[in-house]
Amino acid sequence: MSLYEVERDPVRIAGRRLRWAARWVVLPLMAGVFLSANVDVRVLPAFGPERQTAVLLLDGQAYFGHLDDSGESGTLLLRDVYYFQSASGGVTGLAVGLVRRGSEAHEPADGMRINRDRVLALEQVGPSSAVAQAIGAQRQIARSSPALLSLNRTNAAPSQVVVAQRVAAEHDLQRGFVGAADQLAKLNELVLPISKTEAKLITDKALGDLRTVRRNGLAAIAAALGMPAADAQSYVTTTDRLLEGQTFANDVNVLLAPDLNGIVNSATQLYGQVGDSYAKQLTASRTVSPSPSAAPSPSPSASPSPTPTARP
Amino acid sequence: MRRFRLAYRDPIRWLRLHRRSLWNSAIALGLFFAAFFFTQWWDLTIPAFGRGEYQAVFLANGQTYFGRYYDRIGAYAKIEDVYYLQQTAAADADKAPDTRLVRRGRELHAPSARMLVPKSAVLFIEDLSDASPIAQFMKQDRR
Repeated sequence: MSLYEVERDPVRIAGRRLRWAARWVVLPLMAGVFLSANVDVRVLPAFGPERQTAVLLLDGQAYFGHLDDSGESGTLLLRDVYYFQSASGGVTGLAVGLVRRGSEAHEPADGMRINRDRVLALEQVGPSSAVAQAIGAQRQIARSSPALLSLNRTNAAPSQVVVAQRVAAEHDLQRGFVGAADQLAKLNELVLPISKTEAKLITDKALGDLRTVRRNGLAAIAAALGMPAADAQSYVTTTDRLLEGQTFANDVNVLLAPDLNGIVNSATQLYGQVGDSYAKQLTASRTVSPSPSAAPSPSPSASPSPTPTARP
Repeated sequence: MRRFRLAYRDPIRWLRLHRRSLWNSAIALGLFFAAFFFTQWWDLTIPAFGRGEYQAVFLANGQTYFGRYYDRIGAYAKIEDVYYLQQTAAADADKAPDTRLVRRGRELHAPSARMLVPKSAVLFIEDLSDASPIAQFMKQDRR
């Protein structure tokens, strides 16, 4: 009779325990660590707000969007991308403006692959930050609907944020107008090669054209916000009247949604062009005898309409 | 399906029959969630002993960040409570620009206190001594 009992064989017992541990202990632990290392609980629908990441590059550029860094390919994938564009000397009072990636000449599709070697840092964008609010307002303006299934659902800004953005854009338009009008006024204080009457005529015409730029800017804002034609007309008339005479010098600077920023930028460019054109007429010495009827006609009579012209 | 049909008809008997599998599944589920949340808390940082409270992190683009630096498993290191030096031109052009230590977080995108930096972008890291005016400023600012 053999004394060997299979059930009491220590090697078999150890093997059984090892198999049990591998199946019920090691495997769940590894799965938990692996999943946790690749998933941030805050992006899950049940946890927290939308998660946007700022990707700062070595060359100083900053991109904002939904980051996917789960792969091992050496690139980061950024979706729904926005970035800063230099706006120094602009009317917003900020050194940068926000632009949505996709409006460039080559019209890139959504999904930007960034070489990890060129990345300087990754940061999470604050949900109530100026960037997050401008992006939210842009989504509201563009009436973009979030994807049905997404771990990181996009949020549009509430209507009060869009109203604040609209008001800030109106004030920026007016600041641009005031800046151009001030330059004309300073020119009028100089000794000009034309008579005072002629100078006044030219200046009045210039102010009229600048007001046209402002009105077109307001009309572009109304169109961007999707106002019906009748409402847009009354909005332009009312707001234009309210803006007249204001300076808004002490306003808090607001980072505008890309569409509104584009409108303000275009209007600012047009203010500059109109101002320069009339400044030339004010300072140019005449060769023919002066007469009010010979007042120069402004070249930008083709009514300027500001449109976004974002470039990378 | 037969197993579950029995569970529907006679749940007590079904529980008795499968109590071993249920027990094992409960252990596995518990361990899975424990590992998941432990890793979230741990953040894959590698413990470092005997180092200073704050570090200066010199980056490849010439920028320097100050804060609590943590090495991590993977491609990124982590800096928490980040400060940086900001230079503003002095009113007088002949004078040197004013330099201020600024806490990261008040920028337009209001970043959180945690910054991930690719290890490839880090030139070198130095501990700040306790006597360092930058370390002292950061300590005071945290209070």
